[in-house]
Amino acid sequence: MAQAAVKMDEPELIRAAQKGDQRAFEQLVRLYDQNVLRLAFNLLRSPEDANDIYQEAFLRVYKNLHTFRFDCSFHTWLYRIVTNLCLDALRKRRVRREENTVVETGEGVLDRMDTVEEGRAHGDPQRQLLSSQLRERIQKVLGELTPRERMVFEMRHYQGLRLRTIGELLGTSEEAAKNCLFRATQKMRAALGDFV
Amino acid sequence: MKCEEARDRMPLFLYGELSFEEEERLETHIDECAGCREALGREKMLFQAFDAAQAVPSQGLLDNCRAELRGRIAQVEPERSGFWDKLREGFSIHFHFAPGWMQLVGALAMLVLGFAAARMTPGSMLGPWRTAGVAGEPVTSRVRYVEPVASGRVQIVVDETRQRVLSGYLEDQTIQRLLLKAAKDPSDAGLRVESVDLLKNRPQSAEVRTALLYALQHDPNAGVRLKALDGLKEFASDPETRQTLTQVLLKDDNPGVRTQVIDLLIQHRSEAMVGVLQELMNKEDNDYIRMRCQKALNEMNASVETY
Repeated sequence: MAQAAVKMDEPELIRAAQKGDQRAFEQLVRLYDQNVLRLAFNLLRSPEDANDIYQEAFLRVYKNLHTFRFDCSFHTWLYRIVTNLCLDALRKRRVRREENTVVETGEGVLDRMDTVEEGRAHGDPQRQLLSSQLRERIQKVLGELTPRERMVFEMRHYQGLRLRTIGELLGTSEEAAKNCLFRATQKMRAALGDFV
Repeated sequence: MKCEEARDRMPLFLYGELSFEEEERLETHIDECAGCREALGREKMLFQAFDAAQAVPSQGLLDNCRAELRGRIAQVEPERSGFWDKLREGFSIHFHFAPGWMQLVGALAMLVLGFAAARMTPGSMLGPWRTAGVAGEPVTSRVRYVEPVASGRVQIVVDETRQRVLSGYLEDQTIQRLLLKAAKDPSDAGLRVESVDLLKNRPQSAEVRTALLYALQHDPNAGVRLKALDGLKEFASDPETRQTLTQVLLKDDNPGVRTQVIDLLIQHRSEAMVGVLQELMNKEDNDYIRMRCQKALNEMNASVETY
């Protein structure tokens, strides 16, 4: 355990974790877990589902870390696991059609779209009404995107990943990821264009 | 470039995903076309609406995820890179580019070696095939000392760290002692957050309260300080706690912590606070804290400034 207390860089952490150093594994998790949780939470909008993805992703990493051979970056390896899990969850959800804007947070029940209203229409009833309609539309159109379109949009818009990286993570080309993003933004513009 | 094509490319333009030439063509068109300039403005507004609609998980959710993961991992043994993996890896390097017949020879050689190795390899090297009961085995080890001894033998002193899973109630002395230790672990802020989060449910214990006061004053991580503060809420009228809160209010560099502290302090007003609040008014930059401070001073009929 003592060796993980020393500041290690990522490859050192991975090697130590592969040898069974739990603290090194935990430090490795903490390099990425906030972004993983943010991705899952924003996509699935449910703390329980986001937690499920978090647990499953890092448990898979833990169980299979010995197979990681540094052929790609650890970030790529981890995100392949996470995006596959999220896509599966989105596909299941698409079947169930259970999208809901109301989420439970540590601070209580929250409508995630309230942030749009606060940011855009403070103090102006007419703009508040418009903003409320806009958030409903954003909600609806995000739910209508295919899981793959939703994932590409999420990774480009919210995670800030380049299309080349997104293609690599999803096992496709940069061009295919670009087309997917294009379709997603076209659908969103068609549904929301008259609001802005 | 036509307007329709320009508008189709606007999202990719805003994401910075167009090639240099495509971007040049689009910018040239936008310079010349008022309608597309307006459309680009609308596209930017749409992007801002998406930004504002992002759901950010709370720190509490992240803390819970981390705690649950730690518990689940304690019950799982990772597959380790064992003898067979290394052997397989070695062969894949040597025979990867070899012609088919050599790969066949390699495979046969591996099979023969496999039988031989299985007979010769001690159980501890078999990685995934190890027997259960890991808890008692060393997790890490470090050679501390080596020394040649008589008749060509070598003596080695090894430090071994073993892992145990303990469970119990917060009232248990062992659990509490370990939590108090973990709450001061300088190498792991996450561990401190979780430990203080558990300890804060037992502030009646003098030892725990001392640890919370220490964490509030000295922990470098604001998340840990906020958890400690949470545990001290019911002692906001206790003189020792108030003294610490006052020092934190004047010294803590995190406005979130100072905001919580002032809210707590002014719940139980006293004349002794006037000087502190006046000092705070002179140095505080945060508008909310200044407002709370000014309101409290006004309600105590005290001047907001010192002369």
